[in-house]
Amino acid sequence: MSLYSLILANKWLLEVLYAFIIALICAVIVIKTDKFFRLSLHQGIRYFRNAFFFFGVGFIAKYIFGLLSDLNFSFVYVAQVIFEYFLVMAGFFLLYSLVWRRFESSREEYFSSLFNAKIAVFHVMALVIALLDDIWRTYYFMFASQIIIFFYASIISFANLRRNRNKYKFQKFYFVAMLLGLIAWTLNLLAPLYFNWSSEILINIGIINIIFFLLFLYGVIKVTKTE
Amino acid sequence: MAAKKRERLDVIRDILQTIRQNREIKPTRLLYASNLSPQMFKEYINELISKNFIKLEIGEKDKKTFSLTKKGQDFLQEYKIIENFIENFGL
Repeated sequence: MSLYSLILANKWLLEVLYAFIIALICAVIVIKTDKFFRLSLHQGIRYFRNAFFFFGVGFIAKYIFGLLSDLNFSFVYVAQVIFEYFLVMAGFFLLYSLVWRRFESSREEYFSSLFNAKIAVFHVMALVIALLDDIWRTYYFMFASQIIIFFYASIISFANLRRNRNKYKFQKFYFVAMLLGLIAWTLNLLAPLYFNWSSEILINIGIINIIFFLLFLYGVIKVTKTE
Repeated sequence: MAAKKRERLDVIRDILQTIRQNREIKPTRLLYASNLSPQMFKEYINELISKNFIKLEIGEKDKKTFSLTKKGQDFLQEYKIIENFIENFGL
């Protein structure tokens, strides 16, 4: 029995495990970074924390609504809208954590970083993307938005890496993580277009996603380790 | 080349470090040491007091001094890690 067949034979169990592992990784990152945000009130840390909060909630929502869809099929569409909304918001927050200085001063403070005038634009865009996909019964709007986000994030992280070469060790891992994100979302887009949702492609996307989250977990633990 | 403008986090670190070095410090001395305008200084001090990083003590003859709280001391210890985190993640 090949590895792919083994995975497909235990698809449901592995999907639950997959969502659980990603949600757990996100929870650790959120807890670790929240401590630093509360101490420093640094907006970049705040948006980075929010990104992983939304990733985590998105995967938990997918799991819960996935279970509910076994009882009532209409939950499949609710699950898609909610999952897409949280995932797109996470992508926006991740990109915004890299560029927030261009839009806000370091002394500008908001009562909430989840709902304020600037972030409202992201909420509206994420909701529109999720609803458009739901109306057209497709994933293309989410895939396209995430490819654009990760493309920009890759360029910014590469520029950071070049500017501070060897000074900050995690920057190269950050760039690799952004590239992995870009590859995963590009494969997601290609899967229905050229591979008819091939199981092998989807499994590989899942593995890339796990590596993406593990890289961030490694970075957060390594960089924040007290000596 | 113009000197790089101090980040908010750097200003806070500088103020807290100055207070720690002196244990207790008068507002006027801290203002000079902070290299901020009186208006900016007031804003930072109010923020640091409200966040419980420093406390203002009023002694005999209304003599005012600032001192570090436990939270302020924790911040100085964690500052290096936070700074490292911000740079490594490009935040």
